Amino acid sequence: MFRSRLKLPFLIGMSFFLMSSLHAQKKPVSITGTAGVTYEGYGLDRKPTGFTGYMPRRPWNQVRFNFSPIFKFSKNFSMPVNINLAAIPTNFAGPFSGIHHQSIGQFLTNPMNNFGLNPTYKWAELQLGTQYLKYSDLSTGDIGIFGAGFSLKPGDFRIKFFTGISQQGINYAPLPLPGVQGAFKRTHYMFSIGKEKEGDYLISFNLSKGKDRINSVVTPPIVTLPQEGFTISMVINKDFKKGWYLKTEEAKSIYTKNENDPLNPLMKSFQPFIEARNSTTSDYAAQLSVGKKSKNFDIGLGSKYIGAGFQTIGFPYLQPDRFEYTVNTRFNAMKNRTNVTASIGQRINDVSNSTIRAKQFIGSLNWFTQFNDKFSLNVSFNNFGFSTNGYTPSSIPSIKNVSVDAGINPTYTWINSKMSQTLSFSYNYSNYKETYILGSSVTSQLNNTHTLLLSYIPVYFTRKISPDFSALYFYNDASMAKISFTTLSAGISFPAKKDRIKLRGQLQYTLGKFNSFTPDNNFIASCNIDYKINKKLTWTSYLSTNYYKYGNQLGGAYIGANYLESILRTGLKYKF
Amino acid sequence: MKSFIFICFLLFSCISTFSQTNITLIMTPRPAANLSEWSARKETITLIITNMQDNRQVKIKASVKTSDGTQISSTDMNIAPIVSIPHGTSMQNASVVFPLEAQVFTGKYQSSLQRSGKLPSDSYQFCVELDSAANLAPITPTVCKTFFVAGNQLPILMKPYNGEQLEPAKAQTAIIFRWTPVVPRPQNVIYYRIQVFEVLNGQQPVQALRSNQPLLDQTITAQTQYIWQPQLGLIREPADSAGSFTEQSNRFIWTIQTLDEQMQPLPADGNYEGRSEPSEFTIGNKNLPAKQKKTSG
Repeated sequence: MFRSRLKLPFLIGMSFFLMSSLHAQKKPVSITGTAGVTYEGYGLDRKPTGFTGYMPRRPWNQVRFNFSPIFKFSKNFSMPVNINLAAIPTNFAGPFSGIHHQSIGQFLTNPMNNFGLNPTYKWAELQLGTQYLKYSDLSTGDIGIFGAGFSLKPGDFRIKFFTGISQQGINYAPLPLPGVQGAFKRTHYMFSIGKEKEGDYLISFNLSKGKDRINSVVTPPIVTLPQEGFTISMVINKDFKKGWYLKTEEAKSIYTKNENDPLNPLMKSFQPFIEARNSTTSDYAAQLSVGKKSKNFDIGLGSKYIGAGFQTIGFPYLQPDRFEYTVNTRFNAMKNRTNVTASIGQRINDVSNSTIRAKQFIGSLNWFTQFNDKFSLNVSFNNFGFSTNGYTPSSIPSIKNVSVDAGINPTYTWINSKMSQTLSFSYNYSNYKETYILGSSVTSQLNNTHTLLLSYIPVYFTRKISPDFSALYFYNDASMAKISFTTLSAGISFPAKKDRIKLRGQLQYTLGKFNSFTPDNNFIASCNIDYKINKKLTWTSYLSTNYYKYGNQLGGAYIGANYLESILRTGLKYKF
Repeated sequence: MKSFIFICFLLFSCISTFSQTNITLIMTPRPAANLSEWSARKETITLIITNMQDNRQVKIKASVKTSDGTQISSTDMNIAPIVSIPHGTSMQNASVVFPLEAQVFTGKYQSSLQRSGKLPSDSYQFCVELDSAANLAPITPTVCKTFFVAGNQLPILMKPYNGEQLEPAKAQTAIIFRWTPVVPRPQNVIYYRIQVFEVLNGQQPVQALRSNQPLLDQTITAQTQYIWQPQLGLIREPADSAGSFTEQSNRFIWTIQTLDEQMQPLPADGNYEGRSEPSEFTIGNKNLPAKQKKTSG
């Protein structure tokens, strides 16, 4: 692994050098894009010894490489490259979580890394390496797959195919803690055929299949089971005159939650793509959006239905069994001085059942008015309601949650010949009420939050210095917890060395108070330095330090406990 | 549960010495909603069989009824596996008592099972008897247990809502996270693990979730609100996103992982990580005029 870690930067360095040479020699190949390397160091010093109230939240050391040039060989032939690598795996969620020592195959398919190559000749594109392919919203998925495929666009026709691996087999290992959760090797196939005329219509038929390889691990995962899924979908989009549009997708999935289950002829198969087992489900999903877009007025209706058994292998966190719709609008008025956006909608979860079906109401409004050159006002309102029936015989309570947020933000700007000054004030009120009802027993918890912010931004026309200042007061009142924060913050940015260096800095102090305990103190200082070494090469550095000292809320030996967290990021960025 | 089974087992052993073959059914009152998971969870169904004869070949006839007694499924005895029961007391669990491939459901229940793998949320009875493998004649009386089934609905992320842009001056001090509770509320304590991941330059949001170390990883008991002090320092403005790549990113993705009383992920519909559909938010000045954004950055 160590050798492979060294090889990769070496290869990147070589490529970097070769491309710089090509560029310098003004060969017919043109190169655009960027390449870079970044180092991140992290430090956390906690006192007293043994205090674990604050855990490290970044890797101690990390090196990232980025190599994203686009080679243009001729008018019709180009090759975008996308290589992003991280030296140390830090996976906390998903199939790679907990992995430390990777095989080459695991390194290539780890979502931390991208190795993508997309040579394109006229309408034909070859897709090699890591690709994030989203043929449609309900079919292929949002995860990266390492493999090979193509995308062809002859005339109005669209033909796509891709096959690859999204995760290698990873053995389950409970120790050392927190352990490796393990994963089965997962292979994917996807295909799409359709016709498209940009700005007019799109019709496409998509097909996607994914399968876990049971024998790809020696010690299989405990929690995750081997799965298999097959999805077909049809997309029809049409743009009409005067900004009207219609977008639809209908999909059907057949999904096996556990490939170890016995075959079951009573469940629905889709031979030869997938054979049904005890845990196989077969269901539908659909989405529709219709509306009108114009310069000063938009209106749209969006709706989505995901059946209870609809599942795709490429969207690992898709929540099924729901129906939702929203109406969105936006308009400008008063010669563009007023902008309003609003939406209202509902989401129903557990649609397939009536006993504990949950309903959500979503409503939001944002109104911005620029009254004159000096004064503007922004008003916002958000409401989110959630309710579900209970089932008293099984002691399942009904739930009602309501979250309401309202804000007002006036901004005043005055300008003279030397500077402009902006003074902005905002007040936000947030109310959250959670209620559980079981028979005659009602328990509820109420949270009220108030946030006041005052910020001042002077802009000098004759100087290059740009400071900003803000003061904030935050107060959250819940039945058992009263939390307040008072923050003072100041920032500054200015260029130096004939604009070759750009400096930004920020200081922030927060006084935090929890119930009647003595206050916590937090001080953060951070700065960013961008140094333009030459036209192509920039050296960027970021330093941040965060000191936090608790009051007496932790009690005992931890009264006055504190930590110092430091971050250093530095890197070189080359622009081709 | 284990001690309860053991006591039943002893009691039943004593009582059943007076009869030929007897059965006792023990069933969890709120089993997994996906019927295919019953066989993997040994606690779902335990059938204690006491046989005072020599080894017998039997078939287990299981059925599911609604709370009013209407039968909605029964074992197809032609394909039900033959079970050999030894002399004395033995135990069987769902993989033998309720093999799904041998169950025939009626009408809308068959349709529900094919679509979602679940029965509609409601109270049901699970009944079982032993039949002779030779002539399918009942050799024990039918015993039943009542259960309630409801699929877990993982929390839905409420605030910040998907795609919300937060003001840096407020977000650098505190960000309020809210989500809906898991439904139905489990009988035991439930934990919510909130995780916030930074989306680095060149990363897709779900890629960041599956590869980065979380900036926030906090486990909360039962509550559905968390106030986070990010303590992040300078945050890159959206307008600068194409520039410096060493600063703190302004894009984040967050999710809630629901954990049961043993701190294990609560599975829902094949999502074995128990993670809710993630949501993205950014930190940036949306109301300041472009000129001010540029100069202040």
